[in-house]
Amino acid sequence: MSAASSQSEFAAALLDPAATLPAGVTTMRGSADAARFDVYRNNVMVSLITALEQKFPVSRKLVGDAFFKQMARGFIRQERPRSPLIFQYGDGFPEFIDDLETTRGVPYLGDVARLEVLWMRAYHAADATPLDIAAIAGTDPEILVGSGIVPMPSASLLRSDWPVGSIWAAHQQDPVASVAHSGPETILVLRPQADVRVHIVPPQDGNFAATLFAGKSLGGAAQAASHDASFDFGSALVGLVSLGTVLRLQPISEGDNS
Amino acid sequence: MNRQTLALALAGSLATAFATAAVAAPLAPEKMEGMEKCYGISLAGQNDCAAGAGTTCAGTSTKDYQANAWKAVPAGTCTTMEVDGHKGMLEAM
Amino acid sequence: MLRPSALPPRAGLGLKPAHYADIIESKPDVGFFEVHAENYMGDGGPPHRYLEAISEHYPISLHGVGLSIGAEGPLDKAHLARLKSLIDRYRPASFSEHLAWSTHDSAFFNDLLPLPYTPQTRDRVVSHVDEVQQFLGQRMLLENPSTYVLFEESTIDEIDFLADVCERTGCGLLLDVNNVMVSSVNHRLDPVAYIDRFPVERVGEIHLAGYDEAVDGAGDRLLIDAHASPVLDDVFSLYDHTLSRCGPVATLIEWDNNVPDFETLFAEARRAEAVMEGHQSGKTLSKFA
Repeated sequence: MSAASSQSEFAAALLDPAATLPAGVTTMRGSADAARFDVYRNNVMVSLITALEQKFPVSRKLVGDAFFKQMARGFIRQERPRSPLIFQYGDGFPEFIDDLETTRGVPYLGDVARLEVLWMRAYHAADATPLDIAAIAGTDPEILVGSGIVPMPSASLLRSDWPVGSIWAAHQQDPVASVAHSGPETILVLRPQADVRVHIVPPQDGNFAATLFAGKSLGGAAQAASHDASFDFGSALVGLVSLGTVLRLQPISEGDNS
Repeated sequence: MNRQTLALALAGSLATAFATAAVAAPLAPEKMEGMEKCYGISLAGQNDCAAGAGTTCAGTSTKDYQANAWKAVPAGTCTTMEVDGHKGMLEAM
Repeated sequence: MLRPSALPPRAGLGLKPAHYADIIESKPDVGFFEVHAENYMGDGGPPHRYLEAISEHYPISLHGVGLSIGAEGPLDKAHLARLKSLIDRYRPASFSEHLAWSTHDSAFFNDLLPLPYTPQTRDRVVSHVDEVQQFLGQRMLLENPSTYVLFEESTIDEIDFLADVCERTGCGLLLDVNNVMVSSVNHRLDPVAYIDRFPVERVGEIHLAGYDEAVDGAGDRLLIDAHASPVLDDVFSLYDHTLSRCGPVATLIEWDNNVPDFETLFAEARRAEAVMEGHQSGKTLSKFA
């Protein structure tokens, strides 16, 4: 009498080290052997840990290999990949990090991981040609203030209470450099052409950029940023467009503009 | 502020920005480069080709699935890196 | 002999991001490059830019690791559509996948998991291979797996299973010689006998790789398909024996973990081609004879 195996049972036992071996699994000796099933358990766990290590190299360096692996194992048990596109796996890792007691002393870790998610998204995003700055110069100001931006497919904005752009940059060199300040940063991640770029947006332009990314008009974004006396609409817009942030402008209805 | 007044106010700022950058449409690519450098801070990038998690059709002899005790503590650069003159981990909140 | 793939009878290498620039710059004399389809399923960016450039100079083998052909559930239609668009874009000389499953209940396990060999699982694999070939509009190659466990309910031998699927779907086979060694040692079978029974006329590509060695719970040898080291001599010898049956066939060196520098990979390809050259006119290399 042979037991029928099911993939449900096999799958459930893969990520649960305490689970008994699935029914019907055996060896050439005629009896089951946990050490053999464990090869699959290790393959799954190690390949997914490796996937997270490759996606979050700076987060890993920040907390060290042992702690990172421990976080990765915890995350993997909680969340399986939903797709064979393994570069998409781990988009929920920053939230998992935020919720951990053990990362309290590294409060910026979640945002560093967010920056790494955005980097990977930009790397694989659709190719496109950013809006030429000349198009801004040639647009009637009244139309301009009523327009919003369609960001490049690769472009995202991250606002952090911590200097995570500077921390990320400090880790692109060995040994890791020191970070000169502790304030918040607004980080723009994008791939205008071949390579992914990471920029720190001038502090006074953070609200402007965030309001534009939220789908509001240029006029509305300018008003949202105007409480900071050092904000200057022209240099902010020219700056963002020249970095390749914008795919095109699009009209925004009046209601969104107030 | 209505749209016309706003447009008027912002048009001035935009004109100044273009003038300061000493550019006129159409913009030469090398001038755009110059402007790019003036805006915000460009960060050194990570190696483009070393990036990215991939699929695998290989197994591993590394044993890892069982270790699940939460014993490790953060012990990487966060313990030594200096942020704004403060070295190491931040006070637990 | 008419091969079920358009890959040249030469050694090929897996394409790794760390080697993109080197390959484009130096255009090494490699027979073909193989890519894991799933790593090129993003919308754009450097992976496509490099693959585009490399596909202009080399035949490309598209190797899927995520279609889950052996799954109990239906094939993922969105994934099939992504494969089709890659095939339309890059016109690969071959498309291959595994006799294994990796997705269950919409969770993807990133590993090639084993299935029992029964009339029921065979019929399911046949219908999945039919569906893939119909959807992609071309023949695929199905690869024999490395396995670490057996199933009590299995009633069909692996080679008969593969041969049946071929017969009924018209698909070709990807013969992974390292997998033959790994599974044969793990299940106390004779790897040479496996090769001797294998329907070699169906083989469109061969894979070679390095394995790791461990022991199981009873202290028996347990080989693991690790792709993390050079091809070992016993696998090269089995490869030599394989070619004595089927002549030179496109052969991939798989090295996916701890990927070495390009020169080391290239040297592995040269080793495989040296074995292949010994079979150009039907003779075998004395080293492995």
